[in-house]
Amino acid sequence: MQAQRSRTNRLLAILIALFLLVTALPFACWWGVSRLRAAVTPPEPTLRLAYSPEKRELLGQLLAEFERQGLRTTSGAPMRVAAVEMLPERMVRLAVEGQVDAVCPDSSLWLTETDQRWRETFLRDGVLVGEAVRFAISPVVIAMREDVARSMGYPDRPIGWMDILERAQTEETFSWSHASTSTASGLLATLAQFYAGAGKTRGLTIEDATAQSTLDYVAAVEATVRHYGEGELATVERALEEGELRLDAFVVQEQLVVYYNGRGSDRLVAVYPAEGTLWEDHPLALLEHADLDNDARETFQALKRHLLSPQSQQVVLQHGYRPADLSIPLTGEGSPLTAANGVDPTQPKTVLQMPSAAVVDVVRDVWWYTKRHTNVFLVVDTSGSMQGDKLENARLGLQAFVEGIRGDQERVGMIEFASEVGRTIPLDELGRNRRALEQAIADLSAGGNTALLDAIGAAYGRLQSLGDAERINAIVVMTDGRENASRTRLRELQMRIRDGNARGVPVVVFCIAYGSDADLDTLAAIAETSGGQVRRGDLTSIEELYRLISTYF
Amino acid sequence: MNRTRLVFVLVLVVALAIVGLSYLMRSDGGSLEPERQELLEVRVACALPVEAWVREAAEAFNAEGHRLDGVPITVQVTAVDGLTAKSRFDRGEFDPVPTAWIPDSRYLVELVNLTQKQKLGRDVFLTDGEYRARPIAISLFAWGIYASRAEVLRERYGKVDWGSIHDAAVARGGWAELGGDPSWGYFKLVVPNPQRNVGGLAAMVAAAGEYYQSTRIGVADVTNPEFQQWLGELMGAVTDFSSLSAYSAEDLALFGYSMGDGGQLLESDLLSHMEGIQARWQEPLVIIYPEYITWFDFPFTVWMGQETTAAEKNAALEFERYLLSEEVQAQAVLHGLRPVNTSVSLDIEGSPFARWRDQGIVTVVPRASAMRSPDRDTLDTLVRWFELNVTQR
Repeated sequence: MQAQRSRTNRLLAILIALFLLVTALPFACWWGVSRLRAAVTPPEPTLRLAYSPEKRELLGQLLAEFERQGLRTTSGAPMRVAAVEMLPERMVRLAVEGQVDAVCPDSSLWLTETDQRWRETFLRDGVLVGEAVRFAISPVVIAMREDVARSMGYPDRPIGWMDILERAQTEETFSWSHASTSTASGLLATLAQFYAGAGKTRGLTIEDATAQSTLDYVAAVEATVRHYGEGELATVERALEEGELRLDAFVVQEQLVVYYNGRGSDRLVAVYPAEGTLWEDHPLALLEHADLDNDARETFQALKRHLLSPQSQQVVLQHGYRPADLSIPLTGEGSPLTAANGVDPTQPKTVLQMPSAAVVDVVRDVWWYTKRHTNVFLVVDTSGSMQGDKLENARLGLQAFVEGIRGDQERVGMIEFASEVGRTIPLDELGRNRRALEQAIADLSAGGNTALLDAIGAAYGRLQSLGDAERINAIVVMTDGRENASRTRLRELQMRIRDGNARGVPVVVFCIAYGSDADLDTLAAIAETSGGQVRRGDLTSIEELYRLISTYF
Repeated sequence: MNRTRLVFVLVLVVALAIVGLSYLMRSDGGSLEPERQELLEVRVACALPVEAWVREAAEAFNAEGHRLDGVPITVQVTAVDGLTAKSRFDRGEFDPVPTAWIPDSRYLVELVNLTQKQKLGRDVFLTDGEYRARPIAISLFAWGIYASRAEVLRERYGKVDWGSIHDAAVARGGWAELGGDPSWGYFKLVVPNPQRNVGGLAAMVAAAGEYYQSTRIGVADVTNPEFQQWLGELMGAVTDFSSLSAYSAEDLALFGYSMGDGGQLLESDLLSHMEGIQARWQEPLVIIYPEYITWFDFPFTVWMGQETTAAEKNAALEFERYLLSEEVQAQAVLHGLRPVNTSVSLDIEGSPFARWRDQGIVTVVPRASAMRSPDRDTLDTLVRWFELNVTQR
């Protein structure tokens, strides 16, 4: 009896234990699997943010600090920000397409543009841009080499847009530039020219902007621009990389003068134009698109708080921006906004009036016709190594380049090369050959060796024989391999470029080293000889790289 | 303990350990369901000039654990400009509908009621009884001008009012012609964008009052071509209507005299930024009170629709009473707002009214004529005129 009870108890105990084990096992397995999945699958970012390039360093630091806090949303998702750098004009397009959740352009004028474009695209009322906050501001200035500024009366005499424009027109050696109207600084420089052309400092109208006398004036001034650029940071970084300033003056945000003076061997000063400037207010704005979820909203709110926190605002000042927190003095101890850094925190004294959105649109459209025009040859490697994804992505990049050049008056041609110089689309105005170019790009096929130098020589010869000094002459060459088939030698080509640029028309060569096998040394030598640049591109970046280079034209 | 029992205990411990560990690890992620509790939620849509004060009060209210019939009340504050809120009520776009609304001015409540009456045949906000709209603070419109600029204007025109500001605005030679520093450029007026900030509409109403030397303006006044030309010239002195905050005193502080020499703005907004302006631009603002005074009274109004329960409406009243309490009204003073609770003085410790007295702040405005709220047609006409003649110019 005792033994039977004992056996029954034992059986019962084992059954209970087994039951508990069976109950617990699936739970434990589920937990284990979910933990494992979490470990191998990185969590989706909760906020997709696009920001303008000049904030690379500042936002890089602030976002890293934000991520280090390890915040989580109420749903338990880690607050992660996937930040992508891009020019504001492209940001507007991605915002309207719903590809980003938040934007941080250089100026809130792009927010107005985003709403306008969104309404036009979806034919509806209302706005896409939701909550917005400013965490840093910076005036647009003319960064000038100190010796040049002093020769114009700095710091005793105020220098204005008119002085710059007059000097550019009367002194051939004066070299200046501004970015295209796809950045706020570029737009300001353009607006200032239209104001000067119309003889006004406020109240610019569509009639003023389209008057023949204004257009003639702007075209004459633009003819003095050495070259355009993808943005102000790129101009400053290029000067730092080369160790010298090749420009006498260029239009940038104030903090980039501080940035340059902290790193460069020569010194820049910020000129606050006497007629007025504009402010860049660096808004962080949430986009209220249909798919925006609560995780993104919460992350935005947390990021906003982080950017406005006293610690972050000090970081903002240390990067040379003026912080939104008014309790932080601009002239306090440790502030980089000092005369030694070439800036004056009591400036600017006045601003140019921002015209209505309709007038700004007209100015931007008209600028494409008044800007200094371009003769540009695209030199494209179609050797065997380009087969597959490489060629496909290069094709997308070339299409982006052609699309990026909006003015139909720009002249673009194309030369393909492999074992020898291949098909050539002659240089012509885009209004006439855009379709032929697009077709040729679509038809590109790969095979053969790499006659890089012959192809560049061919493009260079065509531009020199054209001898068009009115326009910016340039070659954009892309290759993924090493020169192995040309009759031309590198030294020979360099001599030809040096000689041609001195006696004939200056031709700038932009080189894209596509992939890790590209001959960077050869490309660098050619670019340096012509005063151009070399950029590295890969499968993922080639399209964007072509798009960026298109902003130079 | 025999072997069988030992095995049993071990299996039991392992099973419990697995369950316990899993439970602990899950709770580590912070996803434990909160203990559910009945809660009365009061959602307050709040005008921007009082948002900071109301939000602070809401946080204190929530922390104090107020209850209604034993049920805890929690208050959530959402900042929304009065004009934007009005449009959202009119279009039925609030989701969820706020339990209470604190607009900038009583006339916005009347405008929403007018629209809803046409739709529903009844008011959605009451004008009498327990749930009636009650002001919770007051702020006047006053001129805030950089001291150096005000001095030049006084020298030239004897006073600062809409008339002298207009004449300064149309001076073709800018400050050089007015007797100021040529580096100041042309005269720059600060007016909020009336499409985005109700303060801009208030500024246009105040300008019309002074133009006609009258406290009451109507459609005929604002459609008068001579007045429109005068107003257009004034608005032509604004440097940018597209900026983010649509020209509040915050812009005057952030961008300083470069963007605006001065403008007629809300006293509380000016007071909140006086210190920042002085710190950043090393030049103070002076405050000048106009003869024709416009003000905001920030009425606390409870939504009377079925979207909120009776208990939620009453909870909103609890919060309203809290805002009107002496302690919270004193906090309003610190935010530059004039209290409606008469037992609270403007001269309490830390009051910006006392601190900025030398810059022109007064506690009692002498000899002023109060502008009456215009009707809806007049306001609509002004906004439409602005859209056609200023933003699309």
